[in-house]
Amino acid sequence: MSTRIVFALIAGLCPAAMYAQDKLTAAEIIDRAQAAYYSPGSDMKARVVMELINADGKKRTRVLTMLRKSIPGGREQRYFLYFHEPGDVRRTAFLVWKYPEKDDDRWIFIPAVNMTRRIAARDSRSSFVGSDFSYEDVSGRDVGADSHALLREERLGDSSCYVVQSTPKAAADFSRKLSWIDKTSWLPLKEEYYDAQNQLARLFTAGKVETIDAGGKTYPTVVKRTMKNVQSGHRTEVVFESITYDVGIAADVFTERSLQQAPEKWIR
Amino acid sequence: MRDRLIHRLTSFSVDHPRLVIGLTLVITLAFGLQLPKMTTDTDPKHMLPITSPVRQYNDQVEREFGLHADNLVVGIVNERGVVNSETLSHIAELTRRIQKIPGVVVRDVTSFTTIDNVTVESGSLAVRPLLGEVPASSGELGALRRALLENPLLRNRVISQDTKATAIYVPLEPSANGREIADRIRQMLPKGSSGDQYFLAGDPIARDTFGYEMFQQMALFSPVAGMVMCVALWFMFRSLSVVVANMAVAMISIIWAMGLFIGLGFPVHIMSSMSPVFLMAIATDSVHIFNEFYFRYGEVSNKRRAVLETMTAVGRPVVLSDLTTAAGFASLAAGPIIPVRVFGLLVGFGTLVILLMSFTLVPAILILMREDRIAAAAQRELSRSASGSPLLAKLGRLCVRHAKPVVLAGCALLVVAGVGLARLHVNNNMVHWFKPESEIRVADRVLNRHLGGTSIGYIVVRGAGQNAMHDPGMLRSIESLQRELEKDPVAGKTHSVVDFVKRINRVLHNDDPAFERVPDSAAEIAQYLFLFSMAAKPSDLNNVVDYPFQSANVMVQLKSWDAGVMRGVLDRAHAHLAANPLPGGTTLRPAGIAYFNLVWNDEVLWGMVTSFLSGLVIVLILLVLETRSLRWGVVCFVPLFFTIAVIYGMVGLAGKDFDMPVAVLSTLSLGLAIDFAVHFVVRFQQHYTTHSNLNDSLVWTVARPGKGIFRNAVLFALGFVVMVFAHLTPYITVGVLMAAIMLLSSISSIVFLPALIRIFDKRLLKGVTL
Repeated sequence: MSTRIVFALIAGLCPAAMYAQDKLTAAEIIDRAQAAYYSPGSDMKARVVMELINADGKKRTRVLTMLRKSIPGGREQRYFLYFHEPGDVRRTAFLVWKYPEKDDDRWIFIPAVNMTRRIAARDSRSSFVGSDFSYEDVSGRDVGADSHALLREERLGDSSCYVVQSTPKAAADFSRKLSWIDKTSWLPLKEEYYDAQNQLARLFTAGKVETIDAGGKTYPTVVKRTMKNVQSGHRTEVVFESITYDVGIAADVFTERSLQQAPEKWIR
Repeated sequence: MRDRLIHRLTSFSVDHPRLVIGLTLVITLAFGLQLPKMTTDTDPKHMLPITSPVRQYNDQVEREFGLHADNLVVGIVNERGVVNSETLSHIAELTRRIQKIPGVVVRDVTSFTTIDNVTVESGSLAVRPLLGEVPASSGELGALRRALLENPLLRNRVISQDTKATAIYVPLEPSANGREIADRIRQMLPKGSSGDQYFLAGDPIARDTFGYEMFQQMALFSPVAGMVMCVALWFMFRSLSVVVANMAVAMISIIWAMGLFIGLGFPVHIMSSMSPVFLMAIATDSVHIFNEFYFRYGEVSNKRRAVLETMTAVGRPVVLSDLTTAAGFASLAAGPIIPVRVFGLLVGFGTLVILLMSFTLVPAILILMREDRIAAAAQRELSRSASGSPLLAKLGRLCVRHAKPVVLAGCALLVVAGVGLARLHVNNNMVHWFKPESEIRVADRVLNRHLGGTSIGYIVVRGAGQNAMHDPGMLRSIESLQRELEKDPVAGKTHSVVDFVKRINRVLHNDDPAFERVPDSAAEIAQYLFLFSMAAKPSDLNNVVDYPFQSANVMVQLKSWDAGVMRGVLDRAHAHLAANPLPGGTTLRPAGIAYFNLVWNDEVLWGMVTSFLSGLVIVLILLVLETRSLRWGVVCFVPLFFTIAVIYGMVGLAGKDFDMPVAVLSTLSLGLAIDFAVHFVVRFQQHYTTHSNLNDSLVWTVARPGKGIFRNAVLFALGFVVMVFAHLTPYITVGVLMAAIMLLSSISSIVFLPALIRIFDKRLLKGVTL
């Protein structure tokens, strides 16, 4: 049982816990942040524009539709990514079944040879479609994979934030991470990844946060985000457009079959 | 005017010796206070300014493809094969520790544990580091060995054909010091490990080690050269004062010159680190003063008169030869290479200091010498012969009598030298600056025997527009270019985007070798690369193809650091492409360390040649001006010309490469080798004016000032010849050649000048009768 559920139980049983918010542990803060950032709502649909910009200022642009569905009763997630651009890869589609504390299942459809292939995904720290984001940066990292420490609370711009340091328990591509987590939206506004030499390697910034309404509920969402490799000068800018939550995406959208026959209704 | 100035300086110094010495010491102290501010710059690459086109283009290519200029290679060789659990765990551990060294580009260290391998495993496509966990069972080890050998992306790069060798490629930040990082890696190497041998190679180690050792060797050899010169001086004159005076002049010029340039904020570069030895050698010019002083004292037996007469006699040749030396060095400032300019001006300035000391400090010391000691020494000189060395006198008579055969023999030697000059082979190889048995050379040899090569060149193929690298025709052309380049025995491995496309094609089709080829449609290629980019490290693709897929980078691993190797590769590429052209509008441009070395080599060598030629012209002009006669100027120039032609002709005949150290040397020999001819001609003219017997004057000049010339040359040669014991080959080259140049130019001055003057006496001597 995840710590998040434990926390929810405690919060539900004992309303007094709500006002003792500043007594949250670091792990609990990260857990809430992950929930707010990676899995708001029961499902989500967005058009994503991703720009990969190298140190020379040259760009590669990817435009895709991202569909996400949370499997009820756990932290399991399914992603369906359909690429519109660049033109020569149109119809390439990508399916991810993400499980907590277990390797993902991933499939890709290659239209030019009309072929679907499973992709082994042992290294979830590897780059997501050539960007500066790793798979984990896109879909979340197990809270239990790191040990967390609440360093301080401070203001970042207009927001009051927790600053949490996360240190991987097993070897990873970073030696520690600092996260600035907004106390109201619970979204991470800034993250610093340090390398084996304890030098700043990557910098995440939430450029713009919007609150999306969905049938009476509201979801604060990072609609513009940047990950910069400060050592190579390479960066990736991601903009989420036309975000909708809780739209009822059917489970059969997230299957191998729909990779080849993309569900017209959802990817437009 | 000048003679009067010299006379006044000398008489002032003779009258107030203590004041002169004190003043000199105070000024020296002032310059000396600048020395602690010294900064050093050991990178030979800084000989080219940052604005040079090759540096800028190389930087651009490196930025575009996310590459690194400096790479170390750690080779691991095990005769039983490196694919065993123990060696593999050492590699994993070593890679992890190397990544923690500051100055190492963590994300791009390439070894078994970081290099991406594209495979198919039970129907799944897998892109992940080749070695995750170290396998223990022999079955798993066998599988790994097969995976390594059947993948062309890995073969000859991280694994040798016989699986006995592997490598860790370590890119460095631009500011990092290759030698220091290599030292840290050496400390990390597992000790006493089961048959594993470790080798460190790569240009940055050679370059930074060279820069570092050069300073060390200079710090060692400058004093040794000084000591050898002191001992030789003592045997020549048996006088401590002479030794002290000579060394004082040398030290003062070094301190003033180094102090001035350090005070002006110039870092001490490899070139200027050599200036102490040169200034010490130039300071031996004062030997002419002592040589003459002892003869004079024997004649007049009055210390003050002897000093003044000596300075009048040798004043003009000393001024003239020092000025030519200074001008020869200062002319280096005309060349394009900044450290060479600094060196030239520094030594030029130091030479002027030596000149000043010759008329101030040296007479002041002479006048303070104890009279009885001088008398004893003078007696020794005179007891041999008042008119100089009898042996030299014999030589002089021989040359005067057989003037024509002597000159003809010289001409014959020049013809032989011409043959050698035509055979001079211009090349440079920084790794060869170390001795063959040195650690760096051994590592380089071993790695080049097992793997694709420690040096790397890039050929950037730029298509007509975006997505040019999705065109199957383009990729097939690049593939055939790669196969052609690999026919070159020094090109051990090539690597391009084509290799990735072929690999993915095969792996997607269930590892069927029939699909290890370039697909037929642009869409397939685009999607394969896209697929690859979804799983691999971004640098895998970025290193070989640019962002708009317009340019591809063909990497060529080379087994030699010879600058000419890249020229061979490019010639081969152009010849191949002439017969098999790339798609229209495609251009080709080389880059990478191998190409940089090629251009660096050409530019620096050409810069040296420019400096050298301009130096020659300036020296000739100065000689003509000083002797106030075109003919005498040319005659003075002959021994220098002869010496340089013969020495470089011999370098050519011996088959030694005309490399950077030899080129540097040529520019340096210039200002020094001229001195002897200047002394000879001026002293001859003085003697002939007063005695007007041609043959006698010639023989006297060979015997008496000739002795000073020989003493000077021997001192000079001794100072340089100690460098033979250095363990960097350029020092040995410089030491041997410099000594040879000095001895040869002194001999050619003494042999050819009397013969030439004898032959052309009518034309030459018209103006001399005063």
